[in-house]
Amino acid sequence: MSAILSGLNIKNIYEYDGTQSYSKYDIIDYQLVTGISVYPAYTGFGNTGLTTWFNNDFLNSFVTDSRFNVTGWLNSVSGSGNLIQISDDENTKPFVDFNEYYLNIYGDQFLSGSGFASDSRTFITLVDVSEIKLSTDSRKIFQFCSSYGENSGKFIVSGVSNSGAAKILLDSQQYNAVSPLYDTKNIFTIVQDSNSNSIKVRQNGYEIGTYSSFPSNWKSGVLIIGDNPQTSGVKYYELIHFTGVLSETQIDYYEKYLYEKYFDNTRLYFAKNNVPAGEQYSPITFSGRLYWTQDIDELFKLSYGSSVNFSSNLSTLEMGDGYRSNVAKNVNTLQTTFQLNFDGLTDTQAKCLITYFENTPEAQNKSLYEGFKGVNIDLFNPYKNNAELYFKTISHTTPYNNINNIKINAESLYDSSLDYKGMLVQLDEVSIKTYNSTIYDINYNDVFYYGSDSFNLRGYYYYTGSGYNQGSSGVTGPLIIGPNNSPTGADSWFTKDFYFKGDIDYGIDSEIRLVVNDQKNSTIEYEKDGINYNLMQFNVVFNKRSNKEARALLKFLDEKAGFKIFEYILPQPYNKTINVYCPEWSHTYNFYDNNDINIKLIEVKSPVRATSVFNTIISWSS
Amino acid sequence: MAKFLNYRNISFTIENERYYASEISLSAQASTSAVILNDGTLLNYAPEGAVVGSLSVNFYLTGSFPSYLNITGTSESAITARFANVLITGLYPKSVNFSVEPFQPISISTDFDWYGNVSVQSFDENTDDQKANIPVPDYFANGYKSYINKKDLEGVDNVVQFSYSASCERPAFFNVEDKIPFRVAKLNKNVSCELSSNELGDLLSITGKNAVCDIVLKDLYGTTLNTFAVSGVLNSQSYKVSEGQYLLASAKIDQVVVEKKTLI
Repeated sequence: MSAILSGLNIKNIYEYDGTQSYSKYDIIDYQLVTGISVYPAYTGFGNTGLTTWFNNDFLNSFVTDSRFNVTGWLNSVSGSGNLIQISDDENTKPFVDFNEYYLNIYGDQFLSGSGFASDSRTFITLVDVSEIKLSTDSRKIFQFCSSYGENSGKFIVSGVSNSGAAKILLDSQQYNAVSPLYDTKNIFTIVQDSNSNSIKVRQNGYEIGTYSSFPSNWKSGVLIIGDNPQTSGVKYYELIHFTGVLSETQIDYYEKYLYEKYFDNTRLYFAKNNVPAGEQYSPITFSGRLYWTQDIDELFKLSYGSSVNFSSNLSTLEMGDGYRSNVAKNVNTLQTTFQLNFDGLTDTQAKCLITYFENTPEAQNKSLYEGFKGVNIDLFNPYKNNAELYFKTISHTTPYNNINNIKINAESLYDSSLDYKGMLVQLDEVSIKTYNSTIYDINYNDVFYYGSDSFNLRGYYYYTGSGYNQGSSGVTGPLIIGPNNSPTGADSWFTKDFYFKGDIDYGIDSEIRLVVNDQKNSTIEYEKDGINYNLMQFNVVFNKRSNKEARALLKFLDEKAGFKIFEYILPQPYNKTINVYCPEWSHTYNFYDNNDINIKLIEVKSPVRATSVFNTIISWSS
Repeated sequence: MAKFLNYRNISFTIENERYYASEISLSAQASTSAVILNDGTLLNYAPEGAVVGSLSVNFYLTGSFPSYLNITGTSESAITARFANVLITGLYPKSVNFSVEPFQPISISTDFDWYGNVSVQSFDENTDDQKANIPVPDYFANGYKSYINKKDLEGVDNVVQFSYSASCERPAFFNVEDKIPFRVAKLNKNVSCELSSNELGDLLSITGKNAVCDIVLKDLYGTTLNTFAVSGVLNSQSYKVSEGQYLLASAKIDQVVVEKKTLI
């Protein structure tokens, strides 16, 4: 049992077995093949015929020029041929990136070498081919020949990466790829047998075809990798060459060595449908992707009752007399914790979700310098889809046999307040659109983004229906909004202000800020603390609000990012407009058109409008 | 739609099987609450949950007892019914009960929850063709041949009347944005049996008395239509006599229905 499985609190999860069928929500540990992996240089099996092994394990495997362009990739098997580039042309030499586990060879770059002749051979390579845009496009992975420029002995991938369209070619013989070919790692193996005069082709351990009566070039001693002009090329991880034909078991050993070393083999796969028996339905094949997933949205949907808490991460400076300055500590202003509810699950579904939760730290790292990736998940209304969350805690209750309620607390870490589209409630051009004076559908609480060169004018505006005699039901159909009624017009139908009204049952507590002189063992004296000593701090509750109002209110708060100041009109009997900011709020999605929102407001004496502004729109290219 | 629909011309089917119902009632409830703002105005009436329908049927059993009315079984699947030529999908049975008295036809009462839309504006009478093809049942359950098989009912003598009830709760679970549940589970499944007899044996103890019996429903010709097994605890005994009558003892048996979990 792998450490991944033994580290789970769930029993009865096994390695994938292609001979078995599986049911929806079954969980597997996919390891390419069952059984052991073997280091290519292992000698315990006797003479395996290993003659060539190119890898990226050590810097001294490469010979470079002064610009770290590769002039030679040294064979790890001593006394065997190397791959070299002797040309003075810089464009033909690959660049070695010492931080990566691969050598990327693109464009006119290539390496070649001699001494690889063999009538029969087993050649295993792990590569990552850059995406092909055209169905007629192709990438040459390697070629055996007697001299440069020959036309046969080529191993090529071609066609767009769809089932049936993605092809693997040995010379002109085509075979359908079983797994996606591009921008993902692939183990390609050829088993060249001179006795049967055939070459078997394998992709990721799955035999996809046999090339019969192959030309003699395949037995020749020159090996070329790269040479794909005008393309972004191929990343070469390892090339392993054995003379002679290895048994299928031995090939499995070495392919699994590559799989364990380079693939993301620690994340489990989950069945999103019932899976038929057969290796063609393994998770990494085209067919298998219809049955297996690591995407939580393909397995579960959130339940009502899901909620979220926002809290701004501020550095507050108290300046006396009630004046205060808030500075966001970073661009990810808000600390956001979602409670994701998954109610009414069967035992099988609960097992699947708990396992998914426990396996999330096994995600790949975001980069060499960062921690692991979070879970991409579609959130509930009005928050964005495909949000990246980190699952932190899980709460599991079972009120009855085969009924499970699971709550997962998850954090969102990377929502930037510099993104004008918003942090978690985003300008998606569907629910929240960029303002256009011709509008086909407009209703109370609709939100628009108004672009402007002026910092004080651009931003989000809320349709309040005032000035247009349609009431809160709005108007449907083409409507040309004149400049006077536009968001910035003199008689605007829109507002940028906080126009939302709290519930009828509200409470406001207030405390006078005082200076206390403590006369020890005697009494105390109070003095007023300068001016502005009646600053308020209170909560406003908006219960059972519609999805549309919730979106508008939450967008307003999202845009304020937890520290921006806005005006708030206190309810009866105060009725005064004060300046506040909202550092914390929470939202629970009770049911369709039923949202509870609770916001905390802190009164400040600072002005609403900034006197100096960062007047630049930052556009995100992706 | 006719102005007033007549019972004689309205048919009722469950899973395409015709039921000879003496009474059918259909209702729907929406749970709402008012949202009042801090300026004293009414914003709207907010939904608190889905529209939950209720369907109650009293019918005569004219054949074998349908498996989809097995309240205490593990199946949670929705069933369909057609009432006054309108299809009702998303029906979830939650109780079945009946009582058996000497020589009386046995009327079975069932209650369902339902979710989704029902075209109540389209209720209609049967067409002439439909009326002409209504089959006449050959059999129906009757107290004449039906009986209670006392497997372990210590001291209970002649049973003159008995009743059976099976029920469960049907909690509904919704995904966000949905108004129709993705699952209507079964919770707290119970069976109870009440019987009247001339004799009930010793008084029950603090743990009641073990009680195991089968209720066998038969038609007038002795054909078995269904057997309902009860295995619980007799936890209530009462005795009553009135002027001009015999002393009659009544008992109630309760059973909590459980399922042993299958390891996964």
